[in-house]
Amino acid sequence: MGLLSIIRKIKRKEKEMRILMVGLDNSGKTTIVLKINGEDTSVISPTLGFNIKTIAYQKYALNIWDVGGQKTIRSYWRNYFEQTDGLVWVVDSSDLRRLDDCKYELHNLLKEERLSGASLLIFANKQDIQGSLSPDEIAKVLNLEAMDKSRHWRIVGCSAYTGEGLLEGFDWLVQDIASRIYMLD
Amino acid sequence: MEDSHLAPPDSTPSAAGSDATLQRKHAAMLERLSNLHQSRVAQKPNSETDSIQSFLNRFTESKLSIESQLSRISQTSSSSYPSNSPKPELENVAVSISTLEKLVAESSYLLPSYEVRTCLKTISDLKQSLDDVTSRVIPKKKFSFKNKKKAASAIYSIPPPPQSDVVNEESDELPKLGSENVGFVSPGFRAKENEVLVKEFNRDFEIGEFTLSDLKGCEVRLKGCLRAFFVNKLKDCKVFVGPVFGSVLIEEVEGCVFVLASHQIRIHNAKKCDFYLRVRSRPIIEDSNGVRFGPYCLRYDGIEKDLEEANLSEETGNWANVDDFRWLRAVQSPNWSVLPENDRVEMVHIS
Ligand SMILES: Nc1nc2c(ncn2[C@@H]2O[C@H](COP(=O)(O)OP(=O)(O)O)[C@@H](O)[C@H]2O)c(=O)[nH]1
Ligand SMILES: [Mg+2]
Repeated sequence: MGLLSIIRKIKRKEKEMRILMVGLDNSGKTTIVLKINGEDTSVISPTLGFNIKTIAYQKYALNIWDVGGQKTIRSYWRNYFEQTDGLVWVVDSSDLRRLDDCKYELHNLLKEERLSGASLLIFANKQDIQGSLSPDEIAKVLNLEAMDKSRHWRIVGCSAYTGEGLLEGFDWLVQDIASRIYMLD
Repeated sequence: MEDSHLAPPDSTPSAAGSDATLQRKHAAMLERLSNLHQSRVAQKPNSETDSIQSFLNRFTESKLSIESQLSRISQTSSSSYPSNSPKPELENVAVSISTLEKLVAESSYLLPSYEVRTCLKTISDLKQSLDDVTSRVIPKKKFSFKNKKKAASAIYSIPPPPQSDVVNEESDELPKLGSENVGFVSPGFRAKENEVLVKEFNRDFEIGEFTLSDLKGCEVRLKGCLRAFFVNKLKDCKVFVGPVFGSVLIEEVEGCVFVLASHQIRIHNAKKCDFYLRVRSRPIIEDSNGVRFGPYCLRYDGIEKDLEEANLSEETGNWANVDDFRWLRAVQSPNWSVLPENDRVEMVHIS
């Protein structure tokens, strides 16, 4: 872990943050990234592999990695862990059947040593769909309280479709990362 | 733990060895960086620049080799093909491209974002040229219209079901959500056999998601707009659905026919199914085989208006642009095909 922060300092020229978007496929990761970046979200094809976007957010450059969530490539997620400052875990709050799958993958991910310092934002997405679970219900089902006490985390309800909640979530994430990394300099 | 004292390996590993090589490279880099820090030499870390340089060299080398392979394939095509199929060579190229893509992913943490973007762009260009070369040397048969005559009884009009069989209510049974989730029920049809299941979504009412799960030999007719649609464990069913203003997720289906319109469609673990689709983005399949695709063909009173409301009145042609996430893109995936025109149903009327 000490090493990681060393690399971080060396690599960083500007105030850059590296953020990894993960979650099951169809949860809305790509839509969220495009929406935050003010891009057209009307036609989105499922992501094979990954996309990277650099977005100026407040005074930071967010380097956002949007990784495909289908089963075939979940085992590749670990290739993206290095130097991750923030994790965004996206949940399709209307997909009740796969919540168990979602919970399993999340806790599996959090076991990763290399992600242990990363702030975790959980987006309970698709709140616009009638019948979606609320962020509180999602937190219960995913058993978030059982997470390691040292983890900085927060769950925010959102809709990538309407844009609601997205800024609230990213504001928290960016502030949390900044207070860990940049305030210390 | 990795042995961080290993010397950096030579720079031209085989595709199969690149994983281990990269890990060693990574370990070596970590060590160099930490030494660097301890001696406080560096504002400008040279060794990091070095590994970026060596990555870029490898990347360029591999890119050039792929390009020359592609141009060789497209040149020899006219003379020696089709007696000598270019398929294996194209598949090799596809493998090289995906290896290169993986290399970028694995090295991305040490690359400046500009380089990552450039590399990704290069990879997508390579994929495009591969697609181009493929379509040049392997002419597509699928859109030829040799067989103009239509199947005689193409109109597939379904008589209204006998009133007694119709299940108009949603299932009361709780879905099996896994032990801890019981209590949250999403609307849907579950655990039925040999029934006709009908549902009309009220236009004035805010519509949400709908689920079909554990159905056998059923016919499902859903009219009106939906926001999200989930399908799980269906066997020998026919499923006719009005426009979905959002995504459709289909898992574990066999021997079924689906007629669906939506913004996104993902199909996992499907066997021997026909899909008549209208989609705004490219449909994807994963772990599926024997699936065939045709254009959307559903009719009911008011469907035009529903399609318009869901932004689905336009035929995009995407029903034929299926991506198989289990298949490298170069050559047509063996897991899906376009429904031959003679085998298609022409129009399905539900009323
Ligand atoms: N109704 C609704 N649909 C959404 C929302 N976010 C994403 N979607 C839809 O969900 C589907 C999957 O989105 P996508 O971004 O591709 O998911 P990914 O696989 O996690 O990248 C798409 O059809 C989106 O339009 C949302 O907040 N509300
Ligand atoms: Mg995506």
